[in-house]
Amino acid sequence: MSAEDMGKLTHRTRLVFAVSSLAFLAVLAISPFKDFRREWKQYKRSYLRFAQTRPDTKKLLADYRPDIDQIWLPGMNIVDRCTTCHQGITQASLADNAVPQPFRAHPLIPHNVRDWGCTVCHRGQGPATEVAEAHESTLAWEQPTLPTRFIQASCGTCHYADLPQTPQLTKGRELLAELNCQGCHRLPGIERPAMLGPDLTNVGTKVSREWIYKWLKEPRTILDKDGNVTVNGYETEEEPRMPKFRLTETELLALSAYLSVQRAKALLPYKIDSRIVAAWSKNPELISQGELRFRQMFCSTCHALAVTRAGEAKLIGGDIGPELTKVGSKVNPDWLIAWLRDPQSYLPHTRMPRYGWSDEDLYKVTQYITAKLTDSDLLTSVPQLRQPTEQEVQLGHRLFLEKGCASCHLIEGLNPQKDFGPDLSALGGKNASELEFGVAKIPHNLVSYIQAKLQDPISVNPAARMPQYNWNQADLDAITTALLSMKGAPPTSALQNLVVPRKEVAFRPTGAFAEVYERYKCYTCHKFNGYGGDLAPELTYEGSRAQRQWIVDFLKNPQTLRPTLILRMPQFNMSDKDAATLADYMTMVLQHPAANPAAVDAMQFTPAMVALGKQLYEVKYQCQSCHTIGGTGGYVGPNLNNAGGWLTPAWIEAWLRDPQALIPDTIEPRRNFREDEVRALTAYLMTLRQSIKPQKTASASVSRTATHGPGL
Amino acid sequence: MRFHIWMSALLLMTIAGVSGCRKYAEAAKADPLLAAYDTEADWTDAQHVIPLSYQQAQGKRIFYQDCVWCHADATPAGPSNRSNLTPVSPLLNDGAALNAESDEFMQNIITLGGSAMGKSAMMPPYGKTLSAEEIRSVIAFTRAIAQPPYRPPARPGSQYSAK
Repeated sequence: MSAEDMGKLTHRTRLVFAVSSLAFLAVLAISPFKDFRREWKQYKRSYLRFAQTRPDTKKLLADYRPDIDQIWLPGMNIVDRCTTCHQGITQASLADNAVPQPFRAHPLIPHNVRDWGCTVCHRGQGPATEVAEAHESTLAWEQPTLPTRFIQASCGTCHYADLPQTPQLTKGRELLAELNCQGCHRLPGIERPAMLGPDLTNVGTKVSREWIYKWLKEPRTILDKDGNVTVNGYETEEEPRMPKFRLTETELLALSAYLSVQRAKALLPYKIDSRIVAAWSKNPELISQGELRFRQMFCSTCHALAVTRAGEAKLIGGDIGPELTKVGSKVNPDWLIAWLRDPQSYLPHTRMPRYGWSDEDLYKVTQYITAKLTDSDLLTSVPQLRQPTEQEVQLGHRLFLEKGCASCHLIEGLNPQKDFGPDLSALGGKNASELEFGVAKIPHNLVSYIQAKLQDPISVNPAARMPQYNWNQADLDAITTALLSMKGAPPTSALQNLVVPRKEVAFRPTGAFAEVYERYKCYTCHKFNGYGGDLAPELTYEGSRAQRQWIVDFLKNPQTLRPTLILRMPQFNMSDKDAATLADYMTMVLQHPAANPAAVDAMQFTPAMVALGKQLYEVKYQCQSCHTIGGTGGYVGPNLNNAGGWLTPAWIEAWLRDPQALIPDTIEPRRNFREDEVRALTAYLMTLRQSIKPQKTASASVSRTATHGPGL
Repeated sequence: MRFHIWMSALLLMTIAGVSGCRKYAEAAKADPLLAAYDTEADWTDAQHVIPLSYQQAQGKRIFYQDCVWCHADATPAGPSNRSNLTPVSPLLNDGAALNAESDEFMQNIITLGGSAMGKSAMMPPYGKTLSAEEIRSVIAFTRAIAQPPYRPPARPGSQYSAK
């Protein structure tokens, strides 16, 4: 190669070198440029610019560093870099909704964000430094953030005990219990309901095969075309309990055959006194008298009936027992009489109390039910069914076990399959890859999966055995929240220590009281020591509150103390002996330590104290805003017309000092009474007396059961 | 040849440039109702649903437990107690009456009762029943459901817009 050539080449080579070094520089620049443009760094810089526009710039930038921020909680396995971008979460001045995300302050919650991190509640990926990877599920990261409307699920992962602050979660847990989901699924911490599905050992004596067929094909609770839940064609707020199973015609025939031959433990038939039947059967007032007794006994406290108001039929009444609008077309009249006399011998776990019936009442009420609460069209869609064949019964028996009926309904001598449905104790912590989405066209995440499964089980898995429920949106979200909260045992011991366990509640009375208490099912509506229903006042300390004679009179002839209540204590027609047993036990055992009868002597109350008390009541504290005396006053608190004949002075004093100490969730606010004011108000209230008048009744037989006013 | 070199250099730089400025993941417009801790239907218009934050939701819970009896037209137990009161208590969403009152006044009247603040003695004090935090949450709920809507009083800083 000549020198000249080399010169030429040199020129060209220079050019090549120049270009390639330029390219090389450019390539080198990519890395720092990319680094500079990283998402989190952009958010850092934009926070810096944002803070400059705020009046409290100095405070906002006090902790500012241009690096990645993280909350590291080794014991809890938490590395949360969320605060890298969400830089203002603890700045109170950024709480306004006008502040753009990601800089807005976190709303006030009981936990300090710095102590707990973010993913513990919101899920998502703590260590991720990109928006998509932190919040959504990507190929490498599987846990998307939890939509805010299910956020209460996160409270439930540690707080197994119900919190007042998380109503949605509590409602979801209640639904899981009430619908007996743990009949098929393992759901830790969910109590079994007192009432499962009815025991079917003897169902053949109660209803016909046609009714069973109809019921299995279309349970009375359905979702109508507008998406409202209806019961027997009436709109309701009641949660559906019996779901719809997808049964073929053969299966319907087989199951109805099998159930209609269940007559193992027939109730003893009861013959109503023929003289009463003879005296009443021709009476044109029989049905209306029956209806009156039905109302007077407050059956509607537990059972709803369809009532037409302003042209719209709605179910009115309680939801403790089934609604009874069409029950006359459902049950066998002989069964009805035997059931009303002694429900427990048919259904051992029933919540229906045993009333003290006179033959006359029993006749009138059953006649009313079988004549009026009917629907002649109820069974029109059911084909003519013949006597069940042996083959059908055999198939029905097999189906009863295979379909999971036995998980909720007992039939004596039949052993339900253990662990019928999947274990759900760790469902709430599952990643999308662990779920079987099958043919469902839904977003692949846990929330969509749970909701699709609940709404339409076969949309996810065509072979699913789970029946069809009718949810309204609020219930669906509540139950989803409760399921999302079940993440199994906490993975680390530090987290395990954070768990707030559920409190075991139990009230196990003994002796004669226990027998009467069980017979009248007091716990269905009243709470004792945290155990029982919440329809009626808590009775844990009833012995301190009420005078013995008042309790006896009230049990024999319940009167409501709160005039606005629709749901009331039923008329049990209780015997003197039962009332005395209950009253004695309450006054002896159900006592509160803060109400000390020995410390308050009603004899020491002077007329001057009474006068002062009256003035305090009416003028200074204006108690009449909530309480009624003599026909004027508010509806919020109980009527005090008979306070002196009802309450014990020790209770009134303790109550005035601190109501919440006696009954924690009472709405009576705690006041700042002076000690002499407490005395004076007690003295005044003890002078208020009014004898309980017997209920006005339309027939002589009723007034026989009602007692007259107390001889105080 | 030269053309090729320039082209490849250009291509490299384009790739570098494009890869450097990847777009942000498009933040989906979140529905405020889905992101809310709880909601409350506007008392004057049931179609209008108001999203509530955690604090406001706690206020709602306390309101429906303690205050609803006299400060609403219907209660969970049936008719309202308002008709029994003289003077009649304001509805909690009555912005015309309550928006003008400061948070401090509201805090005081709930804590100390009506008579302490020169109002009706029928309003009892809740200072020994509810914590200060709970009372603040009730005020937050009041502000959230007010009709006409509540506008917080202008503070020195609010002249700056948040950008």
